[in-house]
Amino acid sequence: MPIFLDYNAGAPVRPEVRSAVAAVLGGGGANPSSVHRGGQNARRMLEQARAEVAALIGAAPAQIVFCSGGTEANNAAIFGTLRARGPRARIITSAIEHSSIMKPLAHLEAEGLEIIRIAPDREGRVDPAQIRSALDRNTALVAIGLANSEVGTIQNLSGLSAPIHAAGAMLHIDAAQAAGRIAVDVSRLGCDLMTLSGHKLGTPAGIGALFVRDGANMTPLLFGGPQERGLRAGTPNLIGAVAFGVAAAIARERMEQEAGRIAALRDTMLERLCAAIPGLELNSPRREVLPNTLNLRFPGVRGETLLIALDLAGVQVSMGSACAAGAVEPSHVLLAMGRSPAAARSSLRISLGYGTGAREVEDACGIIASVWRRVARAENHPQVTA
Amino acid sequence: MGARVIAAMSGGVDSSVAAAILAEQGCEVIGIAMRLSDDGAPRTNRRAACCSYDDFEDARRVAEVMRFPFYVIDLREEFAAGVIHPFVGEYLAGRTPNPCLLCNRDIKFARLWTRAQALDADYIATGHYARIERGPQGDFRLLKAVDARKDQSYFLYTLNQPQLARTLFPLGSMTKDEVRARARRMGLANADKPESQEICFVPGGDYAGFVQSQSRPGQIRRGHVIDSAGRILAPHEGIHRFTVGQRRGLGVAAGEPLYVCGISADSGNVIVGRRDELRAAGLRAAAVTWTATRPPGELEVEVKIRYRHPPIPARLTMTAADRAEVAFARANPAVTPGQACVFYRGEEVLGGGFIESAL
Repeated sequence: MPIFLDYNAGAPVRPEVRSAVAAVLGGGGANPSSVHRGGQNARRMLEQARAEVAALIGAAPAQIVFCSGGTEANNAAIFGTLRARGPRARIITSAIEHSSIMKPLAHLEAEGLEIIRIAPDREGRVDPAQIRSALDRNTALVAIGLANSEVGTIQNLSGLSAPIHAAGAMLHIDAAQAAGRIAVDVSRLGCDLMTLSGHKLGTPAGIGALFVRDGANMTPLLFGGPQERGLRAGTPNLIGAVAFGVAAAIARERMEQEAGRIAALRDTMLERLCAAIPGLELNSPRREVLPNTLNLRFPGVRGETLLIALDLAGVQVSMGSACAAGAVEPSHVLLAMGRSPAAARSSLRISLGYGTGAREVEDACGIIASVWRRVARAENHPQVTA
Repeated sequence: MGARVIAAMSGGVDSSVAAAILAEQGCEVIGIAMRLSDDGAPRTNRRAACCSYDDFEDARRVAEVMRFPFYVIDLREEFAAGVIHPFVGEYLAGRTPNPCLLCNRDIKFARLWTRAQALDADYIATGHYARIERGPQGDFRLLKAVDARKDQSYFLYTLNQPQLARTLFPLGSMTKDEVRARARRMGLANADKPESQEICFVPGGDYAGFVQSQSRPGQIRRGHVIDSAGRILAPHEGIHRFTVGQRRGLGVAAGEPLYVCGISADSGNVIVGRRDELRAAGLRAAAVTWTATRPPGELEVEVKIRYRHPPIPARLTMTAADRAEVAFARANPAVTPGQACVFYRGEEVLGGGFIESAL
């Protein structure tokens, strides 16, 4: 069995989720919108799941709009607020967002909207003062990730909502990587919209949610039936929602304990790898960071080669993002954090999760160190040259 | 598990079948596609170029069918430095480069091999039509493919003993028809994919346009088309538009067919003449390498001066450690500087070099 250390890409389905989904599948299908008792039963399960997801971020159940995932939630947040607002607008974001924020904004920029991208510091931190000073009366939206998927940096967004609202703009927080890993509270953050993703918490991919504050001025992305308070048409994904509800409940119950356990494993891992690999550099910050994320620069190797070699040796990690053809590109996050292209190209992301134990960390450290030695030797001293 | 083999995969039928055959034989195959140039927009013409999204998808499908891992690696910088820039530079200098050869020498059998070592592989495999045989002394011999029409040994003459020891050409004993039949039998979707004939990074085959797009205006050498007596026949837009032996597109009207007989980067002149003026008695070769140890003294060989040219009997004399003079047994047309000359003895590739000039 390979050692899976790529939880930020998506966690394996939790066993509890699997059995809850199996129970729904075994119970016969029904559309939660149907009038009959089958529909009523489905609706009860859907609303129970909604309550669990809401509780994860301190929201009211009616503020949770289920959708297909983080990408849809981010798109709905951006296009929904803009359409409600009208064509001329400024949007403020950071340079280290997920592609499902970056790409819609680049698209809108090409259509003439003004996009302000705040550059982070070397730790991946966005200065709230820079966001505040970029606000103007034309600003429609501030869209920012709470925790970065590639390096794990957690942004300090408290106190931002007041000036944003004073400027007449809305605050959208992408919490796909943060929710379930650290305490997230929509009241404390004062946000209008928040993106949540199921499969980062151990559901199958295909379920996510958008938190929408009461009275938030937005239009839906999809038009059709009246589901999800008219904000997301389409028969709800009941199986996904039930999975999300179970995963959210587990994440909330065990958060404190799990965050401590995983942070300790991460620290052990960093310590062991630093001892075994001279010149190893930490790209992730030490403080205000997700407990599970380690972004490391491995000296003297191409991350791409190391990633493949680790996969063949049974350790699954990741690097940047893949292009359409499947080649890995240097991380735009690391580049925005001031790393050189060469540094970004030799960096990998290791992300831990609920299934990671001391044994996995121990084994993975041994494999990573020995594979790194082999790759570094081959890339710097090839035995055969033309 | 058998030997671990890195299979270089382009998405074409040849490299796909090569990889699939090794997987069937029980090798631990790891499919690798090389991203060599930018994908750009999705192409409407699937044959337009390699390294496109569709080609990688075809390769990935083969890996899925044959159940081996598949990765795409990024060698764009290496390819630009090792293949594209020299390609442009050669044209600007009035020579006719062979980028496939450079790609084999500096990318596939150098950079990819480095990666293969990092991945703890025993061999790399490609879909080339050529054979490698173990000689009586344990040495490795590079041989022509069984399918003479498909033989690609010409492009592989730079391989040395350590490389030959670590390389597999699973298609060397097969014909193209057999390869396609094998692909169909194995259920590979690209069994009937058309063959790419053009240079992968020059979609559409407009070399002159590509060279111009990759160079500064001052690098383009304009001049005149002249005849062997020095008479100016016409102006031309740059020597990179001409190849020795070329007949069409000279911009000159004449009673008899005229050919490019020489290109001078110094003067910018392109010298044209009748077919018999093109004949050369031999050639000078530079950067000569040998697949095995360098044979001593003079050598009777057959030399191929272009990929699609039949071998010519010749006498080879080394004039320096990596330079040779090759005297043809009879006068032959169109020795094209920049192309490779490859030395054969029967089926075996002895070595080769780059053509510097006609003799």
